[in-house]
Amino acid sequence: MTTAALELDGVSSGYGEAVVVRQVELAIAPGEIFCMLGKNGMGKSTLLKTVMGFLPIRQGSIRAFGVDITGQPSHRIARRGLAYVPQEQALFQDLSVVENLRLALRDDRALKAGIERIGRFFTFLPRRLKQRAGTLSGGEQKMLLLARALISRPKLMLVDEVTEGLQPSVIETVSAVLRAERDASSVSMLLVEQHVRFALAVADRYAVLKLGEIVDAGRVGEAGAEQRISDHLSV
Amino acid sequence: MPESQVPAVVAASDAPNGRSSAQLRAVIAVSLIALALIAIAPYVLPMFMVNSLIRAFLYAAVALTVDILWGYTGILTFGQSAFFGIGAYATGLIFTHLGFSPQHALLAFGAAVVVAALVAAVVGWLSFYHGASPLYASVVTLVLPIVVAQILYSGGEFTGSSSGLSGFESFDISIETWFRIAGAFLVVLTALAWFFVRSDAGRVLVAIRENEARCEYLGINVSRVKILLMIACALIAAIAGYAFAGVQMVVAPEYAGFVFGTELIIWVALGGRGTLIGPVIGTLAIDVSTAYLSGNLPFVWKLIIGIAFVAVIVALPQGLMPPVASALRRLHRRASPQAPAFVPSLQAMTAEHFAGLSGSAQHAIEVRDVRKHFGSLKVLEGITFSARRGELLSLVGPNGAGKTTLIRCIADGGERSEGAILINDRDIARRPPYACVALGVGRKFQAANVFETLSVAEALRIARTRLQRPLFSARAPTLEVPNAVVKVLQATGLDQRLGIEVRHLSHGQKQALELAMVLALEPGVVLLDEPTAGLTRPERALIGQILTELAAQEGLCILLVEHDLDFVREISSRVIVLHQGQIVLDGTVAEVVGSELVRDIYAGGGSMRSAGARA
Amino acid sequence: MAQVLDIVTTAAILYVVAAGLLIIFGVMKIINFAHGGFITIGGYSALAVTQLGWTPWASFGFAFAVGCLCGMIIERLVVRPLYARPLDAILATWGLGIIIGQVITLAFGREVQFVQAPIRGAIDALGASYSQYRLLLVPAAIGLALVLTWVLNGTRLGLETRAVIMNENLARGLGINSGLVRFITFSLGSGLASLAGAFITPLSSVDPNMGVPWLVGAFMLVLVSGVSLLSLAIACVVLGGAQVLVSTYGNPILGGLTIVVLAALILRLRPAGFARE
Repeated sequence: MTTAALELDGVSSGYGEAVVVRQVELAIAPGEIFCMLGKNGMGKSTLLKTVMGFLPIRQGSIRAFGVDITGQPSHRIARRGLAYVPQEQALFQDLSVVENLRLALRDDRALKAGIERIGRFFTFLPRRLKQRAGTLSGGEQKMLLLARALISRPKLMLVDEVTEGLQPSVIETVSAVLRAERDASSVSMLLVEQHVRFALAVADRYAVLKLGEIVDAGRVGEAGAEQRISDHLSV
Repeated sequence: MPESQVPAVVAASDAPNGRSSAQLRAVIAVSLIALALIAIAPYVLPMFMVNSLIRAFLYAAVALTVDILWGYTGILTFGQSAFFGIGAYATGLIFTHLGFSPQHALLAFGAAVVVAALVAAVVGWLSFYHGASPLYASVVTLVLPIVVAQILYSGGEFTGSSSGLSGFESFDISIETWFRIAGAFLVVLTALAWFFVRSDAGRVLVAIRENEARCEYLGINVSRVKILLMIACALIAAIAGYAFAGVQMVVAPEYAGFVFGTELIIWVALGGRGTLIGPVIGTLAIDVSTAYLSGNLPFVWKLIIGIAFVAVIVALPQGLMPPVASALRRLHRRASPQAPAFVPSLQAMTAEHFAGLSGSAQHAIEVRDVRKHFGSLKVLEGITFSARRGELLSLVGPNGAGKTTLIRCIADGGERSEGAILINDRDIARRPPYACVALGVGRKFQAANVFETLSVAEALRIARTRLQRPLFSARAPTLEVPNAVVKVLQATGLDQRLGIEVRHLSHGQKQALELAMVLALEPGVVLLDEPTAGLTRPERALIGQILTELAAQEGLCILLVEHDLDFVREISSRVIVLHQGQIVLDGTVAEVVGSELVRDIYAGGGSMRSAGARA
Repeated sequence: MAQVLDIVTTAAILYVVAAGLLIIFGVMKIINFAHGGFITIGGYSALAVTQLGWTPWASFGFAFAVGCLCGMIIERLVVRPLYARPLDAILATWGLGIIIGQVITLAFGREVQFVQAPIRGAIDALGASYSQYRLLLVPAAIGLALVLTWVLNGTRLGLETRAVIMNENLARGLGINSGLVRFITFSLGSGLASLAGAFITPLSSVDPNMGVPWLVGAFMLVLVSGVSLLSLAIACVVLGGAQVLVSTYGNPILGGLTIVVLAALILRLRPAGFARE
């Protein structure tokens, strides 16, 4: 039995007195793409922040690649090979593209090779290295975000609503990049999404979060999965 | 009922304000004892001690003002020494250059008070503007004593420069009498301050310290409160300075300077900020000890104080007094039964309707072409809609659609970039939040950020401040609130918890209290930002029911931002869908639920353009 | 003409004194009120060098080292617990300044003492006879500015520091140990303050409270500069120049107030001060 990339065991957390994530259990295998669906305010972002150590965990434990990371400081969790792509304020707007990329690497020596690698996915980036990140367009910034996550060769990616505000064509690119990277390096991914179509096109397994609890889970492509998801998420 | 047969505990609970009147008696008793001691002391103590104590009494009076500003209201001020110096120099200058006489004494008093008040008003205007950071206010209070001291240094012969003024003639009063005057001044001031901070008005200061922004949205003009407080404290410090010059007959620039200002802070911190007695005792103890030990080990003593100060700030921010006090309190509690805390009795007002619903306006809210942008980033574009009384309007949309920004624009006239917003047919123009409350806006925040250390009753009282001037010397025995508030309190069980501190409430109860406080403002329009966040299912149902009743029965116009679409579906009469800063749909619940467009947006259709292309 | 030199050298001195405070404020968002104490430590380090008979040029390196060391100790013990309480941090560091003053008094005595300057005498500059040492401070300040800018923009540590300044949480999420960055920053900032003390001592003298008058001025300069070394340079020239002009044409004592009062007014009108934004 191979060690899971990420294992959440009865995890609860929240803000102040409010409990936003209730007793969540999930396991992601190495090389697996897992998507967490749910409407706004249901606890998806909170869950990612808890895994990364930005929010204190109230109950339960988290293991990454067999190591218990519950309660560890964020920077140490990041150094275990977890790359976090936050939803807001995710780039250093005043730093250049290359500086943003460097910060994700522990060692500047890996920079050149890293830029070459991600340049194959995002062809525009190597030409814009000196540009201030804040001057890129919205879509370009999201792609820089992904590039930054990928350049460090992570073992597990936590991605929070990366498709928000993107054009359909760009979403296609993102889809392709994620699958290609997974196929090439077996990186595991936990994607938090509201964009159901995109999520189901990329992921292997899914779960639906409602009011902080997982109300449905299974393999993508299973009979009835799409219908169930649609019911949970409908207006 | 024969009194002798009633056990003591029951009698205490019969008088719900048992502890309050017991405390009142205690304060008066202690004050009288202190006054008596002060009357006798000069006969018993050595002259050196008497002299030291006179100075220490006056310093303690100034330390008291620092505690009120910093400990209670949260304004870190280094500048009270400047006002002390102003009082002292007004006296010194007049007595030196014009000589001493009863008229001159009166003139000096007037000058001390007037100049101090003017300077305090300027400092207040500079530091407490809407949106100022607390750091800036501290900076200004830091600059003030430096400026005053430097002006005194540069005054040449007139102010005596660095040697100051001395040897001027003053009141013909013996040292012993001065001792009694200074001591009585301190005791009376402390007692008055104690009554003030315990009163309803004093609670407002604590509320400002805990959450200034919330106070603004409860209709309190926080800037004005702080400026008035600063002026009052400046007056007291100036009077202490006046007395100081009168008894010492020496004034020097150091008394107005920055070092003295920071010494005051140190005494208050060590004694225990926010306790009144702590700073008084701390000042007396440290100042007198310094006078004694200065001769023998001047630098070691100062070093010890410095170390104690740093240790206290880092490890014991509440000061040395509170741990001692709570130890004493624990002993006391074992000795006598606990009387319940002060709890006013709830009283429903019999008014017809909310103040915010007076008059007959066409629309409760009217939003006309409101835009909001941060530089080139457009958050809201061309928002136009209006709502009538009794409507329960939900604002929905994906993240980043601009919902909270819109709420902010309605509650704060300075927030929007362009457009107009009318509440009850009156333009909010660029009014700050507290003025919008006066027009009838009540905003409930998403995070329940009510005042943690106040009790439920006190929090409600704060919410009533704009409509009912609080008492300055006591707590009103009844809490008058609109009927709707009483209903909310009863429905959520808060009416049985009026004396409990807010931080001990559950999350759902805090949300309910927030709602009750907003209703206590008697608004015409209520803005709710995610009122069901973090609530359990039964709590959501309850809130939904309350809101529906408020719209239907009281005629409130309720605008709520929500993510829980089930909740929206159940209680709204109308739904506005916001997407990427624009109104996409404005209609009934059925229309919105059935709309292809909305389904697309929620399913993650991305931009409007793609949605349009498909439709 | 001497005025121009006065303005330039005053600006240089102010820059050297305020740079350390600015870096600490930028990274840690707290004002280090022990800054004055570190200036004093620097002055007394220079005095120690004189008393030990070493060459005066050694005082700079020595002062920097002593300052760094003291900074490390203080960061661990006092500053770290106060990250979340900035106003309390001001008070605690002020208390530290008092402690430093008293310890130095106990160790070195209270009298005013003098330090041997590395260069003495005057030189003819722009038609006036001007102190050589004072003039030397201008290239020293420029050199310092260049070194700091190079460290911030050209090194990995500098990049991580800038990241922590902009968004600490994001930096941590990328694996940057922000606690270590803060520790290094505070130590270096203290070292710089001490170095500044060594720079200014030959201009006058040392006494246990020599740092205090510089503290408030430096503090106001930092507030008005935001987090930019460039804005700090501009502020030093503008406000320092104003101080020189007021002192010369007005009252020298009021001249001492110029920086402080002007800065307070500027912040009231434009809370960002001289910084971009």
